[in-house]
Amino acid sequence: MPSSAEAGAERGGGTSSAGAGAGRGRAQSGGGREARGRDKQSAGAGQTERGGGTSRAAALEVEHLESGYAGVMALRDVSISAKPGTITAVLGANGAGKTTLLATISGFVRPRQGRVTLDGTDLTRRAPEEIVRAGIAHVPEGQAVITELTVEENLRVGGLWRHGQAGRAAALEDAYKRFPVLAAARNRSASTLSGGERQILVIARALMASPKVLLLDEPSLGLAPRIVAQVMDLIQRLRDESGLTVVLVEQNARSALAIADLGVVLNVGRVVVIEEAAVLGADEALRKHYLGF
Amino acid sequence: MTEFLQFTLGGVSFGMVYAAIALSLVLIWRGTRILNYSQGAMAVLTTYIALTVINHTGSYWEGFVVALAAGLVLGAVIERTVIRPVENKPPLNAVVVTIGLLVLIEGIAGIIYGGQYRSFPTAFSVTGLHARSVPLGISRNDVFVASAVLVVALALAALFRFTSVGLRLRASAFNPYAARLLGVRVGRVLTLGWALAGLIGALAGLLVSPDTFLYPSSMDSIFVLGFTAAVIGGLDSPVGAIVGGLILGVVLNYVGGYLGSNLVSIFGLVALMAVLLIRPSGLFSVTHERRV
Repeated sequence: MPSSAEAGAERGGGTSSAGAGAGRGRAQSGGGREARGRDKQSAGAGQTERGGGTSRAAALEVEHLESGYAGVMALRDVSISAKPGTITAVLGANGAGKTTLLATISGFVRPRQGRVTLDGTDLTRRAPEEIVRAGIAHVPEGQAVITELTVEENLRVGGLWRHGQAGRAAALEDAYKRFPVLAAARNRSASTLSGGERQILVIARALMASPKVLLLDEPSLGLAPRIVAQVMDLIQRLRDESGLTVVLVEQNARSALAIADLGVVLNVGRVVVIEEAAVLGADEALRKHYLGF
Repeated sequence: MTEFLQFTLGGVSFGMVYAAIALSLVLIWRGTRILNYSQGAMAVLTTYIALTVINHTGSYWEGFVVALAAGLVLGAVIERTVIRPVENKPPLNAVVVTIGLLVLIEGIAGIIYGGQYRSFPTAFSVTGLHARSVPLGISRNDVFVASAVLVVALALAALFRFTSVGLRLRASAFNPYAARLLGVRVGRVLTLGWALAGLIGALAGLLVSPDTFLYPSSMDSIFVLGFTAAVIGGLDSPVGAIVGGLILGVVLNYVGGYLGSNLVSIFGLVALMAVLLIRPSGLFSVTHERRV
């Protein structure tokens, strides 16, 4: 995988890079799909092995979570476990409770009941800033770029608590190496970035703290299809190259299932389906019923 | 011409005190969106503490340092105890709390130190300075007043710009939600903001009290002018606070010098109303485009 893929395609004007971007977009809906499906098969097999129970515990475990805002219960008895180094896609219609789920995991909403554990450590009801420090990074919907700061300052905020002076510099270098588009814009105000660049910035910023689990809320929201393909590609590479555990909340179920290992469908606050992503994507009845494609 | 020069230089010295109060208000406003009406009262209390130390030890500078430290602690304690519960509540709650603090602190100062006017020493001589034989209208102490505020403002700017503490302060002020997401302990950062504001307010109290005398409500009028300076600067901008203070100080000194000193306080209020009516966001406000 070319590491500068998103940089190249972001520029857009360059003929070769734009072509590559478009090619990837086509591959996703066309022939590439089968190849991905096969990947998924093997990943899925690995998962059932792990899922066998005794061999390896989940990185992130959500058990019987009940949560909501101001008297409205948005989540009821939600249990999800995300295995290390996998992508879990959480799907469902508007108001299904997807965003509440992430906000509860990351501590912004206090659950009424249930537990959230990371590698066996109970994080339920801890403050958001402590949960980040424990290793769960949350990239919210709407991106939360700090527009008054520069690109570099945004990244530095992400690494503030984690590294010593040298470690921070190294993390910054890593981010620039991985995301050349950010290196090019490092001294610009973050408010000047495009939607796709902002999405890359917030993901890169979350990675500055070297999290174990990355929670992504609607990373494709408001992005052009070509950019969505790049962001999905990036998420996949984070799993494959860095072994990151990703929980991906998406309206765009098709794109999410194409890269995910496990698919979870929420409906009015309840888990209605937990299924291997490949199976869920192939099950026409389920797809039509819950996901509308 | 000499007169004009004198009024201008004298205005700069006063203006820097307003700027200091404005700066402390801006620091708190940026972090918590709260206007601290008790900033002047806090400065009165720390200046009384300075006076006690000076009377005890005979050293102005010991009193000076103790007052600054007291301002730092007072700001932090107030944020932790009475402000924390009203953060993220409707703005009126905070208004009521800080006005209540104003009354409370001035009352406590009155109980402890009494209501009489006390003179407060200056750091340096107040004899007028001359350039050749032309009187400049300012003293060595006025130069100290202006440079002390300038030094603190520059130190603050450096803190914000070049340190990781400053980055935390800025991130928390601009976008507390994103800052918490990234592991910044925003609560502690807010406490630090209030502590720094307390320190700068204490500095203003020390610098202005030789002119106003010290009594429980001696900072009230200075607070109003400092607030005016902050509003001129846009409440959000530290640089605006300094420039706003300087503009106000110089203009008020012209009013006092050319039109009569009894007009100064009225003119200060007129300026505040004019700014609020004509340009409530201040002369230096940058409207940030927020796209989501």
